[in-house]
Amino acid sequence: MDFAQILANGVVLGALYACLAVGFSLVWGVLNVINMLHGSFIILGGYLTYFAWQMFGIHPLIMLPIVAAFLFVVGYALQAIFINKVVTAPVLVTLTLTFGLDMILYNLMTVYFSATPRQVTLGLGSIQLFGVYLPVVRLLGMALALLLTGLLYVTLRGSRIGRAIVAVRMDRSAAALMGIRVNRIYAITFGIGALMAGAAGALFAMVFPITTNLSGVFLGKAFVVCVIGGLGSVPGALVGGLALGIIESFSGVLLGPQHALTVGFLVMLLLLIVRPTGLVGVKGYE
Amino acid sequence: MPELLRIAGLTAGYGDVQVLWGIDLDVREGEIVAIVGSNGAGKTTLLRTISGLVGARAGSILFEGREISKAGPDEVLAAGIAHVPEGRRLFKGLSVKDNLLLGAYLRRDKAEIQNDLDYVFDLFPRLKERHSQDATTMSGGEQQMCAIARGIMSRPRLLMIDELSLGLAPALIERLSEGLKAINGNGLTILLVEQDVMTAFELASRAFVVETGRIAKAGETVVLADDPAIRQAYLGV
Repeated sequence: MDFAQILANGVVLGALYACLAVGFSLVWGVLNVINMLHGSFIILGGYLTYFAWQMFGIHPLIMLPIVAAFLFVVGYALQAIFINKVVTAPVLVTLTLTFGLDMILYNLMTVYFSATPRQVTLGLGSIQLFGVYLPVVRLLGMALALLLTGLLYVTLRGSRIGRAIVAVRMDRSAAALMGIRVNRIYAITFGIGALMAGAAGALFAMVFPITTNLSGVFLGKAFVVCVIGGLGSVPGALVGGLALGIIESFSGVLLGPQHALTVGFLVMLLLLIVRPTGLVGVKGYE
Repeated sequence: MPELLRIAGLTAGYGDVQVLWGIDLDVREGEIVAIVGSNGAGKTTLLRTISGLVGARAGSILFEGREISKAGPDEVLAAGIAHVPEGRRLFKGLSVKDNLLLGAYLRRDKAEIQNDLDYVFDLFPRLKERHSQDATTMSGGEQQMCAIARGIMSRPRLLMIDELSLGLAPALIERLSEGLKAINGNGLTILLVEQDVMTAFELASRAFVVETGRIAKAGETVVLADDPAIRQAYLGV
């Protein structure tokens, strides 16, 4: 395979990784919660998209906003009902709680959806550009992943609610003095994290087969993307996602696909030593 | 002048530590009132209790006749009390303008918010020059201007400022004092916590002296400034 093709594959994968990780990163950055549910949220989004398509013939692009909205509600409720009770506790407490909730969600999905790999097959064919072969469905997935990530960025930077999220992240009690109801912003932020996970899941279901067994893999990827790019910022997730996609694509070809994941984690470890804030992370902003 | 704020028998604290031991205090409309006292006397806790960051244990806080001692920070702000916290506490990574807009978070009247932005930019032209800069990269004095302006952006009836002068050069304190007088002249009532008694007495018409969580003395600042005990304890003469 030539260089351009490997790079293109990496960029497509990386855009999906960015979309997959950005919600996880946001929740970690704003709430200081390591959301162990994130991988299962992605799977849930993917399964809902698949079953709507398979059973009712609903196009994935129509399901995408529905799945995203549904997961926002799920995330908001989980935060408001459970996680807000312990959100100021040390990070290990919230990690244990989300881990427990993930066990429940993961097993429910395995029971009701089974662990059979599922994929939406749209059969859109592929195009060839400068000698690079690109399936249309992957291009579509990449474009939507970048669009959603960009939308999140614009929302955080330019909207009233986005400013409130950043303010809560920076200084909780000063934010309260602005009249911001901190617990509500936490619930909204967690909801947005779940929304992005669900949307990423819908996109993944169009591109790769998904199964509940991938839940941990997706969570691991979100972790690596955050550490490589820098925690809690959209540009960090974008850079981290693209970096991981390209790293996996090249190491998969050069060393074999079984080593792609290992190389990703190795790069993460290396960055933790030489640049713990991530590639575009800012000190004190993590 | 009608009464704006009346606090009676207020007690508060953190966990096992009681800080306020029955505070009585009043602020009338249009006044600048100062709360002075040494470090650890409970001045900051008093402001935090009024704004709902710290829960009141006993006593009452009446604002325009309404009991607010049980209200949360968002309700206190909505009632019309803005709190400029000690150490400015501007939001890092956000521009001056975004910080100011966060001051107006509870408001939905876009056109009026724009008017108030123009008003605070008029008051502190430095903020206008630096409106797109990260607020926490400005000098201490500019940050204090931004914090006060952010407080004004909620259009409060009462502005509480914690430690106006802390860590600032005399010329800057002078500049900020002028700004506060202008704001007060436009009708905003101000409750000022200040360790520097000289600055506080220059600005305020009345003052309360807090010692170990109680009001030790209260009165007109011109009278307090001549009180031998206060002169010795706080004015260093």
